[in-house]
Formats: sequence, C-alpha cells, structure tokens
Amino acid sequence: MPFDLPIKTACMKNLLFIFCILLLTSCWKFNPGYHSRPKVWGNKPVYAAVDSAKKILYDPVMHPLINAGNIYAFKDAIFQVDVGRGIHVIDNSVPANAHRVGFITINGCQQISIQGSYLYTNSYSDLVTIDISDPEHMKIVSRLANTFPEMAYDYPLIQPEESGYYECTGYREDSVIVGWVKDSIPQGCYKN
Amino acid sequence: MKIFIVPKKLLILLCVVFLYSCQKEAATNASVQTGKSGSITRFTIAKNYLYVVTNHYLSVYSLSNPAKPEKVHTSDLNYDIETIYPYNNYLFLGTRTGLYIYSIDTASAPSLIGLAKHARSCDPVVVNDSVAFVTLKSSSSCGPAQAGLYIHDITDINNPVLKTTIPLPDPAGLGIQDSILYVCCGSNGMKVFNIKDPYSPTLISTQTDGNYLDVIPYNGILICDDMEGIILYDIHEPGKPVLIKKIS
Repeated sequence: MPFDLPIKTACMKNLLFIFCILLLTSCWKFNPGYHSRPKVWGNKPVYAAVDSAKKILYDPVMHPLINAGNIYAFKDAIFQVDVGRGIHVIDNSVPANAHRVGFITINGCQQISIQGSYLYTNSYSDLVTIDISDPEHMKIVSRLANTFPEMAYDYPLIQPEESGYYECTGYREDSVIVGWVKDSIPQGCYKN
Repeated sequence: MKIFIVPKKLLILLCVVFLYSCQKEAATNASVQTGKSGSITRFTIAKNYLYVVTNHYLSVYSLSNPAKPEKVHTSDLNYDIETIYPYNNYLFLGTRTGLYIYSIDTASAPSLIGLAKHARSCDPVVVNDSVAFVTLKSSSSCGPAQAGLYIHDITDINNPVLKTTIPLPDPAGLGIQDSILYVCCGSNGMKVFNIKDPYSPTLISTQTDGNYLDVIPYNGILICDDMEGIILYDIHEPGKPVLIKKIS
C-alpha cells in the first residue's frame, strides 16, 4: 500500500498532463473555419436585442426614404412603408402641398392596413396594432407575438439590400438584424 | 280574402327582415372606416376581419376588439402567395402559380372556390365587375412566365377564363379608376389604358415621372408609390393624369 500512492500520483499527473494537452489542442482548427477565410469588403449585420429592436416610436419629423414598400391611403394621410424600417406618414390634405410629417419606427415592418383608429402592421413575425387617433402621439396598443412564424426567419433585413458579399446570418433567439454596415468580413455569403 | 292576407303578412315579414339585414350591414360599415391599399399588399381588411397572407398561409384575425386582433383561422396553402385583394364577397390571392379566389361568405373561414393557373410568376390583382386584371412579372426570383398584363373573365367566379395577354416590361402594381387602368412598370413608366372594352385595352399614354411600383386611385388623386418617394396626379379626368406633386 505505501508504494502504491506515488505510482498512482505519477499516473494521475501524466493523465492530467495529457488531458491538458488535449484540451489545448481542441482549440486548433484542422479545417479552416468561417472566420479564418480570406477577408473581403462587404456588409456586416447590425444586431439588436429583440426587446429594443421591437420598440415602436413615432418621430414627428421627416425621415429619408430608403427602401420604398407598400402604400396606404387613409383620410388625408398617405402611409408609405420603408421596408424593414418603419412607416412614413405624409400629410395629403392639400395634395399640391403634400409632404412627409413623421416616421413610425417599426423594425421588421412590411405590411399595413388601417380601420377606424387603428393601424395594423407587422414587426418581424409579430402583428402590431397602433392607435393613430391622435396623429401626434401614435402609440402601440397590442402585439400578437410570433403570429407569422415564416417571418421570423424571412424578414426584410435578413439580407442586405445591395448586392455583394455579406456576412452569413442565421436565426437567433435573442436578437434580430436592424441594419447593415460596410466592413471587412470573412468571404462567405454573396447576394446577386 | 285569405289568399291576399297571407302574402301581405309575408311581405311585411320579408320587409322587416330586409330592413334588419340592411341595418346590420350599415352598422358594421358606418362605424369603422377603412382606407385604401395599393395592389401590392399582404394585409387586407374586409367584414371586420383582417386577412393576412404570408408565403404559405392565409390567416384570419377578428377585429371585434379592434385594439386587440385575435387569430381565428389559418389555412396552410401549398403555393407561394404574393398578394391579397378583396372584392365584394371574395378574396383574390395572387400567387406564384395562379390566381386563387376565396369566398368570405363565412368571413372567419374563407373557402377556395375558383382558380386560374398560369406559369410560375409574381402577380398583384385588381378586380372590376366581372374582370380580373393581373400583372405577371418575369424575373429570376418570380419565374419564367411572359411579363405582362393578364386579363381574366370572372363572370363565372368558380371558373376564371384568361381572355387577353398584353406583354409589358417589368409590370408591378396596378389600379382602376372608372374605365381607366394604370399599370406600374418600374423605370419603364406607368401605362395608362382605356378598358372600356376590358378584353382589348387601348394604351392612352405612358407617364415617365419616376420609377413606379404601385398606385392607389383615391378621391380624384392618383397616389403613386415611387422608388424615390410618392408622386401625385390629378385624375378627375382619369384618362389624362396631371402631375401635381413629387414627394421625395
């Protein structure tokens, strides 16, 4: 018994050493992965946490139109979707003097319909209801989460709008893409 | 005498029923005002229900509590849906495989009653009386159909018949005012057709003030969805649009 102990300890020491080596080598890349690919200039996604990305805000100043989407006429107003970003509000009470008066930020937005005091739209896969009875203070009144499951994976900004290389993306539980920026990225996905 | 009395009673009963039905209809229509959408849309409201199409689903939301829509129905459809357009008691679905017509007699559960198949393509729809106007886009993502305006006779709603095809470059949204049809053709302009004879439209003019995506004829004004903003025309004379304003 007294002889056993040092032998055992030596064995364990060796085992520990081998284990450490194995642990270290586990980080080695035998196949070059995505991030070790050659770098190219392209579009990189900007992620935001779901909670902040889904905030709906009305800003009573004009915003530039980036990607024109669906249009909707209601009373003296015209609404124009800016695909993936929100909805422009245009005052059309005097058509000769029609102008943008505000913008509703709704990330992941594509669709619009209105009845009575309520505007219905989508934010990613959610159905959103906005009270527009007081145009200066539009506010969200309800959200039906994930009612369009297909849109959770297939929303407007899942790819950049322009063609070229972009960093490949996938579904994330806790965050969504709210925009794209130019950067040096690993050569991966390409949009025609 | 009896012979005359009975029909009279029946007549009164019928009148009361008729009045009641009118009152009910008026109540649902007058209390809530909807606006007007462009032809390219996946949301539409009819009979106090919101109808939504996503790629493979037609979903129905009750608006009986308008602040809080409630999903009451979903149909799993086996084709790529592009747009939805309501007309009278029907929903017209533009899909990549054809024009599908649903009855909303039971508003909470639309039922398929007719379809007109065509080659794979994208297609918004507008409907006037017994005629459905469809534009098919032919691009890499939409399919190989010949791009153009496709005009269907829908007198028999269960059996739409393709009557006329007019080739057009890159057509998208479209709209009707009286006997005039406006077809957006992107950077190729907006085509203005006379459709008095709906199966042989005549081209009146091509407007070239922008890159046209879609249109809404609305209270004498034609609202055009432009890549750069909104373009407004006066269409009190629908065949002669007069440019009012470009909003960028």
